[in-house]
Amino acid sequence: MNYFRQPIALFGFVLPIVITIAVIAGALMIKGSVTRSFNEKFAHYRGFEQNKRQALAAEAEISKKREYIERWEALVSEETASAVTLNLREIEELLPAKEFQKTAQDHPSGRKSFAGASAQNSSQVALAFRGTFRSMQKALLELETRMPQLQLQELRIGPENQSNSLNFQVTYTAWEK
Amino acid sequence: MVATQHPSELNPLQLYRQASSILRGTSRATNDGWYQRPLEQQFQLHLRIDGSRAETWIYEPSTGRWKSAPDFPENLILEPSKIAEFAKTSVALAKQAGARSLGIILHIADEFATTEIKPQLDNPGALAELREQIVNDPFAVLDDSSLSADEHSWRLIPYPAGGSEAIATAIILSRQADEFVAKLRAYGNTNNFPVVVDAFSAPLVALLTLPDLKTGPNDNPFIGVLPYARFTVLAFFNEHGDLRLLRTLQHRGQRRPSNLRHAVATTATALEMSAPEIFVLPLAGEPDHQMVSDLKLVFESSSIHEINWRETRFHKAETPSISPELIVAAEIKQVAETPLANTNTFVTLRDEGWATQSFLPMPLAEAEVFPHRSEMKMLRAAKYARYGLFAAVLAVFGWVGVNILNMIRKPEWTFNKQEALMINGRLSMLGQEQKKIAHWDNLLEDRSKGWASMELLARLFPEKSGFLVRSFSHTANPEVTPGQAQVGFIKEWRISGLAREEALIRLSDLNTREGISVAFTEIARVTGNQSFRTDLPSRSVVVNVKTLENSAFKPMPPEEMVAADESTYPFMFDLTITQRFEAADPMALNVAKAP
Repeated sequence: MNYFRQPIALFGFVLPIVITIAVIAGALMIKGSVTRSFNEKFAHYRGFEQNKRQALAAEAEISKKREYIERWEALVSEETASAVTLNLREIEELLPAKEFQKTAQDHPSGRKSFAGASAQNSSQVALAFRGTFRSMQKALLELETRMPQLQLQELRIGPENQSNSLNFQVTYTAWEK
Repeated sequence: MVATQHPSELNPLQLYRQASSILRGTSRATNDGWYQRPLEQQFQLHLRIDGSRAETWIYEPSTGRWKSAPDFPENLILEPSKIAEFAKTSVALAKQAGARSLGIILHIADEFATTEIKPQLDNPGALAELREQIVNDPFAVLDDSSLSADEHSWRLIPYPAGGSEAIATAIILSRQADEFVAKLRAYGNTNNFPVVVDAFSAPLVALLTLPDLKTGPNDNPFIGVLPYARFTVLAFFNEHGDLRLLRTLQHRGQRRPSNLRHAVATTATALEMSAPEIFVLPLAGEPDHQMVSDLKLVFESSSIHEINWRETRFHKAETPSISPELIVAAEIKQVAETPLANTNTFVTLRDEGWATQSFLPMPLAEAEVFPHRSEMKMLRAAKYARYGLFAAVLAVFGWVGVNILNMIRKPEWTFNKQEALMINGRLSMLGQEQKKIAHWDNLLEDRSKGWASMELLARLFPEKSGFLVRSFSHTANPEVTPGQAQVGFIKEWRISGLAREEALIRLSDLNTREGISVAFTEIARVTGNQSFRTDLPSRSVVVNVKTLENSAFKPMPPEEMVAADESTYPFMFDLTITQRFEAADPMALNVAKAP
C-alpha cells in the first residue's frame, strides 16, 4: 500500500507550488504596485519636463516681447483723444508750420470699420489737416509709429482751393484696453 | 538510524516528515539495492544449511565467479549473539568488493514438509491470488490449521499437470531463522547499507536442475528423488514433464528413509506411472548408491539415473563443493535447451518465481514503514522541484528587486508632484500671457496705415510722369462673418486725375494683375508694410482703370505745358484698387476681446 504517495504529492509538490505561486504573485503584485506608482511619477515627471521646456521657450519668447507689451499696454491704456492731441502737437513742432496744419479733430461715437468687427474696446478719431504731401506723410508716419493702436479707417486727399496745399481727412480706429 | 513508525499511526504531515527523514538519513533514494531482491544484487552471500553441514559462498554476478566466504558455525541462525558479527563481516566483504548493497540468500535444506490446501480451492486461475493469500492469511488456504503461523511459513507450489487431484500443495518451513534474517536486515538499516535477505527452500530450487539433467524427449513420466541429510523429497512428473505430486520422506535419524522403495512404488502406482524414469539427485554430500539399488528392486524396467554433479553445469571446478541449489539460484536466468525446460511446470517454477519464493520475507508492517522505490524517487523529485521553485522564487525576487531598484534610482522616483503642479500653473500663466501678446500683436498689425497708402500714391504716380492726381480716397472695412474667431477685411483705393499721352502706358500696366502686384510688392519692400504683399493665397488684388478724354484739353507744345494746368492733359482717369484679405490671412482681425 502506498501510504506515502499522497503526503509526498501534497507536501512535496502541491504545497511548495502553491506557496511559490503565492510568493511570486506577491512579488509581482509589489512590483506592479511600484511600477504603477513609478509610471504615475514618470508621467508627472515627463509632463513636468515637457512643461518646463515649454515654459522656458515661452518665457524666452515672452521676454523678448515683454518690453513691447508693456509699452503697448501703456499706449492702449491712455485716453486716445488726449494722446492723439499730445502727439500731434509734438509732431507739429517737428515740421514746418506752412507744410502741416491740423485743421480739425473729432472723436465720433459708434463702432465703425474695424471697431465694428472686434469686441476689443476702441474709439474713433477723425482728423483734418492742411499741408504738403510729404510733410503730411511724415506726420502720419510719426503719429502711426507713436500710436501703433491706430488703424487707418479712411483717408481722403484733395486739393486746397486757396493755396498749393492739400486737404487731408483721416479717420482712425484706435484700440483701447 | 532514522526513527520510524508505521504509517497507519501517522497523519499526512507526519508521513511526509518521516519520508523526508528517510530521504535525508538513508540512501534509499539513491541506492536501488534497497529495493532489489537478493538474487538481483551485485554482491550475493549464499548460505546453505542442511542439518549436517553449513556452507557459505560469495557470488558476484558481474564476474560470474564464486568465492568462498568465511565459515560460520552451523548453529549461527540459532545464536543471536553471533549474528551481528556475521552481519558486520558480510557487509565489510561487500564494501571491500565495491558493492553498494548485499544480498543474502539462505538456502534451507534441513527441513521440508508438505500439506494439502483446502479441497474447494480448485481453480487454477486463482493461483496467483492464493499465492499472496497464503503469505498473509495462511489458514484461509490450508486444509490443516493445527500449526502456528508464528512458528511456520507456508508457500504454494502449483501442480500444473492435468488430472492432478489438487491445483497445488503447500510447503511448510519453520520460522527458526526469523530472528537471524531480521537481525541481518536491521543491521543494514542501522548502518544505512542495504542488506536484503531471502530464505529459499533448497529442494524447490533443486527441482530446477531437472531440465538440465533430463535431456531426452518428454514421452515418459519421471520421478525426481532428492535425498537430503534429514529428508528425501520425491517429485512425480507426468509424461509431459508436468509436476503431479511432491512428497517428503523424513529420515528420522537414518541415512535414507526406510520406506523409500515402498513409498516411491506405491505413489507411482497410485499416479498410474508405469516404468517411470527416475532421477536421483544426491544433495546431501556424497551419493548414496544403496538408494539406487533399492529403487531398482521395485522399478526393474525403469531407467534410473544417479546424477553425478561433476558432469553437469552445476559443478564448478574451482569451487567443487558448492551445492547445486546455490548455482541454480544464482544462475536462474540460464535456461537449459531441453524439452523439459519448456514445459509448463518448469516455465512456471522458474519464470514466475514459484521455486524461489522467500519463506521469510520482511514482515509487511516492517516493510510499510519505508516508502516504496517509486515514492522515494517521487520524494527526491520533490526535493529537486523545491530547489527549482526556490530558484524560481529567487529569480523572480531578483528580477523584481532589480526592476524596483532601477525605478527607485531614476530621478522620476523622487520627483515631487507639487513641482509638476507649479510648472503647470506657470505654463498656464505664460500661456495666458502668450495669448495676450498674440492678441495685441494681431490688433496692432500694420494692416492699415496712412503713411504707407500715401507712399503707394506717390509711387504709382511719381512727379513728372504725365499724371495729375485730383483726388485720393482710401477706406478699410472688415468683412464681418458671424461665428468666426477672425475676420478678413477689404481695403480700397480710389484715385482720379488727369493723364497725358505717355502716362496711358503706365495706367495700362497698372490695370493688370501682374502690374498692380509689382507695384504693391514694391511698396511692401520699401515700407516694410506686410499688408501690401500679394504673394499670399489668402489675398487678392483687383484693379479697375477708366480713362476718358479731357473735354477741357487744349493742345500746345510740350515746352509750354504746365504740370498743374489741367487743360494740358488729354485724358481723365479713375483708378480703383481693391485688396481683399480673407479670414485665413495672417493679418485677419481677431474678433474676441483681449484675454
